[in-house]
Amino acid sequence: MATTNDDLARWLARVALRDRAAFEQVYRATCTHLLGVAFRILNQRERAEEVLQESFMNVWHNAAGFNAAVATPMTWLINIVRNKAIDALRSGKTERGSTVALDDEAMAVAADEAQQPQRLLEQSFTRLKIDACMADLSAAQRQALALAYYRGMVHTEIAESIGAPLGTVKAWVRRGLDRLKGCLEAAGVQAT
Amino acid sequence: MNYLQPERLDRLAREYALGTLHGGARRRFERVLRQSAAAGLAVGVWQERLATLAGSVPAMQPSEAVWRGLEQRLFAPAAAAKPASSAWAWLGALLSGRTLGGALAGVFLCVLLLRSQPGLIGAEPQTDGLPASYVGLLTDAAGKPTVLASSRRQGNVLTVKMLQPVAVPAGQVAQLWALPKDGGAPFPVAVVPAQGSARVALAATSEKLFFNVPRLAVSLEARPAVAGDKPTGEFVLTGNCVKLW
Repeated sequence: MATTNDDLARWLARVALRDRAAFEQVYRATCTHLLGVAFRILNQRERAEEVLQESFMNVWHNAAGFNAAVATPMTWLINIVRNKAIDALRSGKTERGSTVALDDEAMAVAADEAQQPQRLLEQSFTRLKIDACMADLSAAQRQALALAYYRGMVHTEIAESIGAPLGTVKAWVRRGLDRLKGCLEAAGVQAT
Repeated sequence: MNYLQPERLDRLAREYALGTLHGGARRRFERVLRQSAAAGLAVGVWQERLATLAGSVPAMQPSEAVWRGLEQRLFAPAAAAKPASSAWAWLGALLSGRTLGGALAGVFLCVLLLRSQPGLIGAEPQTDGLPASYVGLLTDAAGKPTVLASSRRQGNVLTVKMLQPVAVPAGQVAQLWALPKDGGAPFPVAVVPAQGSARVALAATSEKLFFNVPRLAVSLEARPAVAGDKPTGEFVLTGNCVKLW
């Protein structure tokens, strides 16, 4: 993707001034990535697209709240989308299992649900060149971290999903985050 | 609890950023976030770290309807009127021209109402804005603002404020109806008081009830309506129902 964080930061500053063309530039440059993030959490294209739309409503109205000194534009956008997707996931939990039919894409994800978040996590480590540093995290620790980040699961759901005690899962997630912090700092990685 | 004690703050910040903080704890921490720069920074650091993990998520092309919907929701009403000159203009443009003055006055009353009841405020992460809500302002035949109805988007309590008393004949009730888009059948929402304020439980979340509802109305009925009932009398009050987000 040719778009850089500098481009995004500039466009967001224009969006804060109600520049519709800049708003569309931000949308076009980031929507495929952001829909992917929402879809991993919600597992349904229609709901993920609703979250994407709500998120960009938020971007239009709150672009002035973006501060390039505090966050990179992509992180700011991902946070909006993740928070909305997580809220949507938790508010719709009861109806989701019973009444919403999974679409084809969701079925494909469900098929290897157990491995996929962990694979995404490992691809990230490789891309960030921190896989050697992260190597001493056990498979279970990785899976706990991956389910929390990519699927928006809370500790109890992770414990249920991988059949481990709640206290153990909390410790795994904590250890995963500590290790991630240490490895990113050691590698001098900047957020994308 | 002192949320800002460094170790506790870091634990909450990382759990919030990751998403494992949930329910009441998440909402309480969001309130802390709105007030504390230290909390915002602690969360920001973790969000930057975790965002590095998003790079491996496969991209997905959204349908063009997402962008068209955004244009429609953000720009269509404003394009018909004057260019948006303030954050409120888009909202104003949604309200009918004739009652615009009264409607905006009503919205600002709503702001005051919400400000005076901090318990109603919450949930919207990282902004100082009002929470996502549905707001209705009903006027009488003379166009005078009469009922202000508001409810949090994911809430199931409707706050009704009577801006002027309504004459409800003995033996009748003032019944509030939702009028769905595209001429769908009106469905009963709640009975409103003749004067003063009330908090009324709704049958479902506002989002479920009002997502497709651009208009509200009040009729006088012999008894409170139940699901499936239709209005029997004339609408004595009508108004717009808008999304406050």
